[in-house]
Amino acid sequence: MTPPDPGPQTVLCGEVRTSVLRTSEALTARTATQLLNLRPDEHVLLSERPNLRVVSPHQLTGVDCRLPALTGGRPRAVGTVAVRAVLTEGRVLQTSAFARLVPGVGSHRKPWGHYLLRPGDIEPLARHQARDVVEGFLASAPLPGGVLNPGSIAERLLDEVLRHQLLDQRAPFKSGRTRLRWTALPAAEGAQASIERFTVAADGLRTVALRTPSADPSAVAALCEDLALHDWLLTTLLALVERSRLGSGDGEAVLAALRPLVDHLLHLWMPGARVPDALAGVWETLERRPGFSRQWQSLVQRIRDQVALRTVPLSRPVMARS
Amino acid sequence: MLVFAASDKGGTGRSVTSSNVAYRRALAGDDVCYLDFDFGSPTAAAVFDVPGASRGVAAGGLHSHLQGRHTEPHRIDVWAESEHEELRYRPTGSGRLVLVPGDRDGGEFAIGKDTVRRCVNLFLQLESEFDVVVVDLSAGRSYAVDMVLEATAQPELARVLSRWLVFHRWTHQHVIAAHGLVFGERGIVAGGVERGHDKGALRDSIRFVRAAVPDPESPLWAHVPLAQSEWMRKCDRDLTELAAELDLGYARLLGKIPLEPVLQWREQLITDEDVLASKVAGMPTRQALEELAAALVDEEAWERQ
Amino acid sequence: MTEQIFRETTAEPRTQSVPLAHVSLELGHLYMEDFEEGADRLREHFARVKPWADAAHAAAAVMSGGGRARVSTCFLVDDYFTQFSSPRELVPLLLGEAKAAGLEIDYLARESACAQADGVALAAAVEGRLVESPAEGSDGTRPGARETGWLSNGQRSPAAGTAEAMGRVVPWTPPSEAGARRHSIFVDVELWSADPRRTWSCPFLASVWQLARLGLLRHRGNPVLEPRGLRPDQALPETWSALPPLLRLNDSAAPFAAYRTTSVLPSRFLPIEHAVRVILGQVDADSGALRQVAERAAGEGIQVPAEIADRAAYVFYPGP
Repeated sequence: MTPPDPGPQTVLCGEVRTSVLRTSEALTARTATQLLNLRPDEHVLLSERPNLRVVSPHQLTGVDCRLPALTGGRPRAVGTVAVRAVLTEGRVLQTSAFARLVPGVGSHRKPWGHYLLRPGDIEPLARHQARDVVEGFLASAPLPGGVLNPGSIAERLLDEVLRHQLLDQRAPFKSGRTRLRWTALPAAEGAQASIERFTVAADGLRTVALRTPSADPSAVAALCEDLALHDWLLTTLLALVERSRLGSGDGEAVLAALRPLVDHLLHLWMPGARVPDALAGVWETLERRPGFSRQWQSLVQRIRDQVALRTVPLSRPVMARS
Repeated sequence: MLVFAASDKGGTGRSVTSSNVAYRRALAGDDVCYLDFDFGSPTAAAVFDVPGASRGVAAGGLHSHLQGRHTEPHRIDVWAESEHEELRYRPTGSGRLVLVPGDRDGGEFAIGKDTVRRCVNLFLQLESEFDVVVVDLSAGRSYAVDMVLEATAQPELARVLSRWLVFHRWTHQHVIAAHGLVFGERGIVAGGVERGHDKGALRDSIRFVRAAVPDPESPLWAHVPLAQSEWMRKCDRDLTELAAELDLGYARLLGKIPLEPVLQWREQLITDEDVLASKVAGMPTRQALEELAAALVDEEAWERQ
Repeated sequence: MTEQIFRETTAEPRTQSVPLAHVSLELGHLYMEDFEEGADRLREHFARVKPWADAAHAAAAVMSGGGRARVSTCFLVDDYFTQFSSPRELVPLLLGEAKAAGLEIDYLARESACAQADGVALAAAVEGRLVESPAEGSDGTRPGARETGWLSNGQRSPAAGTAEAMGRVVPWTPPSEAGARRHSIFVDVELWSADPRRTWSCPFLASVWQLARLGLLRHRGNPVLEPRGLRPDQALPETWSALPPLLRLNDSAAPFAAYRTTSVLPSRFLPIEHAVRVILGQVDADSGALRQVAERAAGEGIQVPAEIADRAAYVFYPGP
């Protein structure tokens, strides 16, 4: 039996960029709120439990472009994309751009004020298949110009914040940026939030396809920011451990390489800390497989063992020798 | 660390030598990124033997990124994408080697405030990701040189270590031209000071690399008539004197690359295979490149004044 | 005093409301050039404004459904671009000339208050709320007005010539107005200049002025540019900076902010107010403030246009 046509569906989509904050010391709550004070007349949101997380007010960017699509034509769509910056423990900076594609209404662009009254909504001007837009959006190739691209909007904000004069441009370790591109379709009636796909592509791109009961774009974006943060932590830790040539090389060099990880990264792991119950199922799935926390714990254990081994004072007589 | 590779004239082997230095740094374990800022002739990918990119990439290269047409410049992971036999497998213990190419058929473009801002963002991002960022600049006085001087003068880049390598051939004309490019009225130092650089600090961040240097003592020339080898020695002495006079002498010298047919004709990375197995490249060349790559990060070599 | 600029996410952001009149009627806008022409110029101005002010009152009565219309009047004096005279000298002169024409000024604002008032940078806050109307094909990657300092009502003409050496020659194409009817009226507005310190442009400050009069400005949920009177024993100060940014001159006046605004200005202000429309059409105003205005209007049975720019009406009388 074929399921009934769900009709036009709302699609949430967005992209999160994650980078280390280029500063030698992690920022305090106060400095962090100054850094993320993107709209001077609005509040910066700060939360200190269970860890320090500072969220900027939203900015909006107007778009009038094509929707990505894998098979069909690319319908034109008009509206605004919301973007915000999030700083975790004064150390990891994320920018997150997202929008809600509302089911098509009308075929002509309306006066701009119409869209301003619906911040973060994008209205297609032609019929489209939600599935097709999702697939087109998540296809890993770079999105062509003139096509909806929240990632480039997030990237602009990331560069802007990272150039802030509060930062001394000295990161404690070398690390790359990651991009997490996501979509969310409505979950079936009464169903929990679920994850349909999590892929890790080359060049730091991850794609996530969700089904969520909540159509609150901000809450779903926050879940994706949390996923992106932990994916970045794992990616960065793996790269740094590889570089430190753990288990070979000279002890001093290995210790010097591991030290910043202990100082700046190891305490940041807190998956799902702020994810609302309605969306928590997504983390549960990811913890079962691939098992983010398992991999993290085993890496952390390796680092701790190495640090402990290599800091045993050499002057102590080596008992094992006989 | 940002490393700017400049030369006054073409044909100095600037691109091929700086690519080799990038390759050697990656072999030594550094994460290295190579930027093709030779906007008039974006062909660095050819040196790394990356298929489909030898004249730049079709979309999203540095030209369109810096002019704001494309948010993220295309990156090529050399270990994964090169067709060079020796480069296809990343050696154990080596760092990343990433090439950021220009646009196919891209040309020089005028520099505005926006271009400089994007350039600063790019440098900041790559510097926070890579140990060494090599920026291969167009020959001579170019918009590319202007742009990086302007970018590195911005306060955000003030605390980022920048070093300049100026390549020149070992001839009378080239020595004079290299001096002009660095110390001349419209040279790098003067241009930098005009944009807010500290004169002393900028001067001290510049070192010269002599390229295509014939070695009169090399066995290659062992059988030439005595008069000719005497003449070669005299030329070499005269040039050494001229270089010292023009402040291109020992204190500012970072490396000497011998005259090497493989560098001249094949314009590719010189791998150990080239030297040891197929022997198309000479041991002295490999050694010179290795020394230059080491000197790049050797503080002592940069403290000499 | 430590200012609270952050809050725990669990706390609900709340927007405080401001009292609202039916109409905010602007009786004029004084620059140094006008002042230098002497009291006669002011007298002539108010005489020309008077019939239109009466018409505005009549229109407000219709709007309020025949009840007593709440109309407040205001007057703006420039102290941002040039400072001239003093409150002590100018205010009595102004009030006297208005009174002679049969007009009463309820509120007097300083132009610099639109840039900064009571320690709050209003113009910068409004700039942070600009959301440009995108030209067709824009995916959001282009630098915005906040970076360039220019805001247009459509798509600019690309620079002619070649962008790259030996590149393709780009032919000239005309600019176009977004949503134009057949032909375009393209406007590009300079929001600020930076020489060497940022100076906001006159149309940009005039846009802030309109938003203030429409009750749509907040600072972290709190009202800004609230009117203050002088104490009975307090004399008018010698300097403009010592005067409250928005001075209440009439204790029994209707509220300063209103559902709609009407401004009576000489015709030379027409291009400025056109630019104001372009700006207001691209401001993402405080959603809490917008909602309060809409709810209050609905409660009073009053129609308020959805578009902010459509809430402002003008009378341009002939003359400089």
